Amino acid sequence: MQEATCSHSWEMTNVQSGFIITEKCFKCNKTSTYFSFEDRPPLEEYHEGEHFWNVMGNAQSVCFDLKCKKCQLEIPLKELSGLMMCTGCNEKCKIDKLMRKLEKDRVWVYIAFGFHPIDENQQLSKEKIAIIEDYFNQRRGSSTSKIKIVSYDMIDDFDSCSGEVIKDIGLLSLTPPEN
Amino acid sequence: MTLQKIIDRFELKTLTNLEDREITGVYISDMLSDVMSSAQAGNLWLTIQAHKNIVSAANLIDISAIIVTNNKKVQEETIELANRFHVVILSSSLSTFEMATELIEAGIK
Repeated sequence: MQEATCSHSWEMTNVQSGFIITEKCFKCNKTSTYFSFEDRPPLEEYHEGEHFWNVMGNAQSVCFDLKCKKCQLEIPLKELSGLMMCTGCNEKCKIDKLMRKLEKDRVWVYIAFGFHPIDENQQLSKEKIAIIEDYFNQRRGSSTSKIKIVSYDMIDDFDSCSGEVIKDIGLLSLTPPEN
Repeated sequence: MTLQKIIDRFELKTLTNLEDREITGVYISDMLSDVMSSAQAGNLWLTIQAHKNIVSAANLIDISAIIVTNNKKVQEETIELANRFHVVILSSSLSTFEMATELIEAGIK
């Protein structure tokens, strides 16, 4: 089937586990995030050009691409760092407004994130975000609800945003969690 | 089998509002990213995780219900968030292994 005429049926491909690493340069205060495929998250600080990167945290996650089962079209998603569910925390935020508008129809809003620094990393295109949304809605099958995925750049205030990110933090900690 | 039958049969505690539906199988994981990549819509999700983020992963995949095992305490804020997004959270005193065994014996795979 031709890609242009295919009614795509997406599946995950190239699924790899790893860590989302967050680093900060103590010289310029820039934050950097990237996906590490190492068995253990890096801990050491290192020097790269003008930057002195220090690890601020890590979260276990998966990265994946999407592939159409019908036409074999593959969509690489190396720009995707994660998904966050909007919880409606800021009435001034465009995503909050969208969520309140859609939730009566049981459409839940998720936000797709790219990697930092935003101006130095290629970010997800609208087309790719639409494909991710399409994939998860297809996977939900005959569900009575749907999801809508939007870009992080619609968030009004990152610092006060309290959406719920899908990532695993602290699972490698040696301190047992509180009950 | 429906969610209500599972609840009755295994005497699960319902922590949230309940929307009864047919379940499609069981997925066991304590990693949200694993659920995002591998669980199927309509699955029962067995976990010991009880923090708010479980709602985010369950809602994305349209999990039929989360069963928090080992009597793990689920915070009120997790329950409130789950109710808002129509995610069902159940609680069991059984371990994940014991719960899985019971479900298999009931014919759910």
